[in-house]
Amino acid sequence: MPAHPWTSQYPEGTSPEIADVTLPHLAAFVRDAADRYADAIAFTQCMPNGMNGSLRYRAVDDLSDAFAAYLREACELQPGDRVALQMPNCLSYPIAAFGVFKAGGVLVNTNPLYTASEMTHQYADSGAQVLVIIDMFADRLPEVLPNTDIEKVITVKVGDFFPPIIAGIIRLVQRYWDRSIPTIDIPHTPFREALEAGRKAIDRGVDVEAYMDGLDHDSLAALQYTGGTTGVSKGAMLTHGNLLSNTRQMLDMIGEAQIRPGTEVVLTALPLYHVFAFTVNLLGFFEVGARNILIPSPRPPSNLKRAFENYPITWMTGVNTLFSALLKERWFLEYPPDHLRASAAGGMALHTAVAQRWREVTGTEIVEGYGLTEASPVLSFNPLSGEIRDGTIGIPVPSTEMRIVDENGEPVPPGTSGEIVARGPQIMEGYWQRPEANEDVLKNGWLHTGDIGVMDEDGYFTIVDRKKDMILVSGFNVFPNEVEDVMTQLEGIAEAAVIGVPDEKSGEQVRAYVVAEDPAPTREEIIAHCRKHLAAYKVPKSVEFRDDLPKSLVGKILRKDLRAELPDEQFGFTPESVVGDPRK
Amino acid sequence: MSHTFDEIVVATLQEVPELADVPDAAVVTEFEQIMLVALLFVIMFGMGASLTPRDFLSAIKKPAGLIIGFVTQFAIMPLIAFIMVLTLNLPPWVAVGALLMGSVPGGTTSNIFTYFSKGNLALSVLMTTNSTLFALVMTPLALSIYGAGLVAEGAEIPIQNIIVTLVILLVPVTIAMWVRSKNANVGAVLELMGGVFGIFVIIFLIVTWVPRNWELLLTTPWNVYFVPIMLGPIGIGIAYGLSKLLRLHPMNARTVGLETGIQNGPLAIGIVILSFSGAALDQAILIPVLYSLFIVIIATFITLYFRRANLAEEQDIPSLL
Repeated sequence: MPAHPWTSQYPEGTSPEIADVTLPHLAAFVRDAADRYADAIAFTQCMPNGMNGSLRYRAVDDLSDAFAAYLREACELQPGDRVALQMPNCLSYPIAAFGVFKAGGVLVNTNPLYTASEMTHQYADSGAQVLVIIDMFADRLPEVLPNTDIEKVITVKVGDFFPPIIAGIIRLVQRYWDRSIPTIDIPHTPFREALEAGRKAIDRGVDVEAYMDGLDHDSLAALQYTGGTTGVSKGAMLTHGNLLSNTRQMLDMIGEAQIRPGTEVVLTALPLYHVFAFTVNLLGFFEVGARNILIPSPRPPSNLKRAFENYPITWMTGVNTLFSALLKERWFLEYPPDHLRASAAGGMALHTAVAQRWREVTGTEIVEGYGLTEASPVLSFNPLSGEIRDGTIGIPVPSTEMRIVDENGEPVPPGTSGEIVARGPQIMEGYWQRPEANEDVLKNGWLHTGDIGVMDEDGYFTIVDRKKDMILVSGFNVFPNEVEDVMTQLEGIAEAAVIGVPDEKSGEQVRAYVVAEDPAPTREEIIAHCRKHLAAYKVPKSVEFRDDLPKSLVGKILRKDLRAELPDEQFGFTPESVVGDPRK
Repeated sequence: MSHTFDEIVVATLQEVPELADVPDAAVVTEFEQIMLVALLFVIMFGMGASLTPRDFLSAIKKPAGLIIGFVTQFAIMPLIAFIMVLTLNLPPWVAVGALLMGSVPGGTTSNIFTYFSKGNLALSVLMTTNSTLFALVMTPLALSIYGAGLVAEGAEIPIQNIIVTLVILLVPVTIAMWVRSKNANVGAVLELMGGVFGIFVIIFLIVTWVPRNWELLLTTPWNVYFVPIMLGPIGIGIAYGLSKLLRLHPMNARTVGLETGIQNGPLAIGIVILSFSGAALDQAILIPVLYSLFIVIIATFITLYFRRANLAEEQDIPSLL
C-alpha cells in the first residue's frame, strides 16, 4: 500500500496496518474474551427506574453455547442458515447473537419497531428460518409469518436474566399497567426454555465446538439491512472477517491508553441492532473486557438518568441527537458524568456546536467517526489521542484506504469534493441476492459510499453531504449539513433541517425547518445569522418553525420526510419518487 | 359508630387545654391511624428511594429555576387556605386542618396527573422533591404565621410536634436513600411501592373511613366542604395564571399549576395523627381526609381540561419502569 497522507496523523502506538486477525471467527472471539474476563460483569441492563440485571462474561459464554445447541439440535439449523433477532437492548441480545455465531448461523438484525410489512420484507428477503423476538412485538407475527420461511419463533422478555422478583415486578407492570404484552397466538418457545433445552443437549454430550468447523473469515456472519439510497432495504453481507477486522481497526485507532482493557464501563444507549452499536459497543468493548450498560429505550433522555447515577460510566457512544438531547437535561448539566473519559459519535454528522458544548459540560473529548453498514461500519475516526478536527470525520482507520473520486471514478486532488470511496478488510461481500445493486456500490474492490466529501492535505475527510440531499441553487451546490451546522450555532436554535424546494428562477431554493428554544430567535435573526456565515446562495429563503423534526429510529433527521410534505405541484420530484419505493 | 359534625366540634369546646387526657379520637380509629401512618412511611420510603444526595445539593445550589413553584407552593397555597379560614368562619381546629392542608408540600400523585395532562414530568418530579425538602422549614413557618390568629380561639398549633413529625418522616427517606445507593433494584421497588401506596391511601379511606363516618359527612356544613374541594382548583388556577403571566412555556405552566394545587394529602393526615391528639385530632384531620378524597376527582377533571387544550399529540400511559 502506498503511503497515505493520514498515516502520519495516527496517534503513537497506532500502526497503519492492523495485526493479522488470528481468531478464526466470531464464535472463537467470544470464547477468547470470555476466558480472559470470566468473572467480570459483561452486561448490565438498566431500566429507566433503575431496575437492573447483569451477566458475567462466563455466563454469556455458557448461555450462548446453550442457545447454539438449541438452534442446531432443536431447530435443526444448518451452517449458513439465517436467524433473525428482533429486540431492544436487553440481556438476551448478546446471548442470542453470540449463540447464532456459535451455531454457524447468520445473524439478521431487525428493528423491533418495524411494521408488519417491513418485517415481512426483511424476513422473506433474508430467508430467515428462526426468529428470536421480544414478546412485546410478537402480536404482528400471525400477519407476517405466512409470507416467510420462519419455522421457529423464540420469545424473549424484557426482564429475562434479572433477579426473579424484579423480573416479576417488571412483568406485572408491563402486563397490567403498560399493557404492552400482547397475547401471542402462534406457537413459540420462551428463550429461557430454549436455553434449558440447549443446556440439556450439551449435558448429553453435544459438542458446541464442532458446530464451528468450517467457519472462517470468509463465512457469512450477518445480513445487516440498510435502506441505502434507493429505498428498498437490502442485506449487506458481513463476514466474520469483516466484523473481526473492523473491531480491531476501531480499537487500534482509539488505542489502549483510551480504552483500557478490563476497566471500562460503556453506556450503550444506541440499539444493538444498529451496526454502529453492534460493532463498537457489543464486539469492541466485549473484546476489552468492559462492562456494557444496556439501555432498552433511550427516549426520553431522562431514561438515562439512573444509568448515569448508578454506574461509573467511562465511555459512551451516540448520535448527534442523543448528545444534543442530554445537553438539554437539567440533571445531566448539573452532574455531568464523573468518570466519563471520552465519547464517540457516529451515524450522522455531529454538529460542531454540540461537540463544543459536550466538551464544556463534561470536560471530556468527543470524536466523530464515519462509516456505513456496508463497511461493518467504521471507516474513519478522529484520532482521540491525536489531532481532533471538529466538523471532519477524521482519518481512515488502520488498514483502510479512502479516496475522493470524480464521476469517472478518478481520484481528485486534496481540497476538491467528490464521492468518497473506500477499501479495506471491513468492506462487505455485497448485497444479499442483489448482484445488480452490487455493481453500483462495489467497483474494483472499492466501496462507493454515495457520500460527497473532501480530503485535506493531512488526510482528514469532511462529509459535504449525501448525494441525494444536495440542493442545486442556480447551478451552485448547497449541502444541507453545512447550512444546518451554521444555523444550530445560533443561540435559541435546537435543531435545524434544510431541504431544497423548486423555484422558478434558481431551479431550487433553500428552505429551513427549525426547532427553537425559548426564547426563540426571529426569522430575520436566523437569516441575518446565516448571511454572516454563508454565501448568499446557501442562505435559506424561507424558515419554518416546528415543534419537532421527523427522525429515524436512531435519531437521524429525515429530510426526505420533510420533502414528502411538500405538495406535488410545488415539488416536481423527490429522489424517492424518481426511483420509486417498492415497499409502497 | 358515626358522629355528627356538631358532636366532634362540641367535644373540643368542652375540653381543657390538656388534650392528652381525652380518650381515643372518634373520627379516625386507632387501627386507621396506625394504617395511615404506616402507609405514609411506605410513601416516604418511596420518595427517599427516588432521591440521591445530588438532588438535595441541586435543590440548594440552584433553586432559581424553581422559584415560581416554591412561591406558589409555600406562599400562595397557605395564603389561600388562610383567606378561606378567615372568610368561612370555620371552627378553630377544623381551621388548623385547613391551614395545614395549605402548608404541606406537593404530593407525588401530582406527577402522574402532570404526565396525563402533557406537562413537564421532569419538572414535576423536581418540584415535588424540592418542596418536600423545603417543607421541613416552610410548613412550620407558614403554620406559625397564619395560625397565630387561631390561638385566641383556643387552637394553638403544636408547631414543635409538627417539626418533630417532619424530622421523624425523614428517617424513612434517609433509610431509603441509603438502600437505593446500595441496591438499585430494591430502591426501584421501594419507589414503585411508594407510588402505588399513594393511591392505596385513597382506596383505604374510601373502604374504611367513609362508610363509618357517613353521618359526619352528611352533617358537615358546606363551608367545611368548601376548603377541601376548592383549595386544589383555586391553587391550580392561580399558579397556572401566574405562570402564564410570567410567560412560562404552556407545558411548564400546566406543571406548576398541578404541582401547586395537588398537595401531599397523606402527609397532612400523617402530621395530624402524629402531632395532634383527642378531639383536636378529630377536627384537624377532617379537611386533610376530605381533601385527599376530592383532589383525585378534581385533578382528573382538570387534567381532562388541560388535555383538551392540547390534543395535538396523544400520549400513552406512562411506564412505571
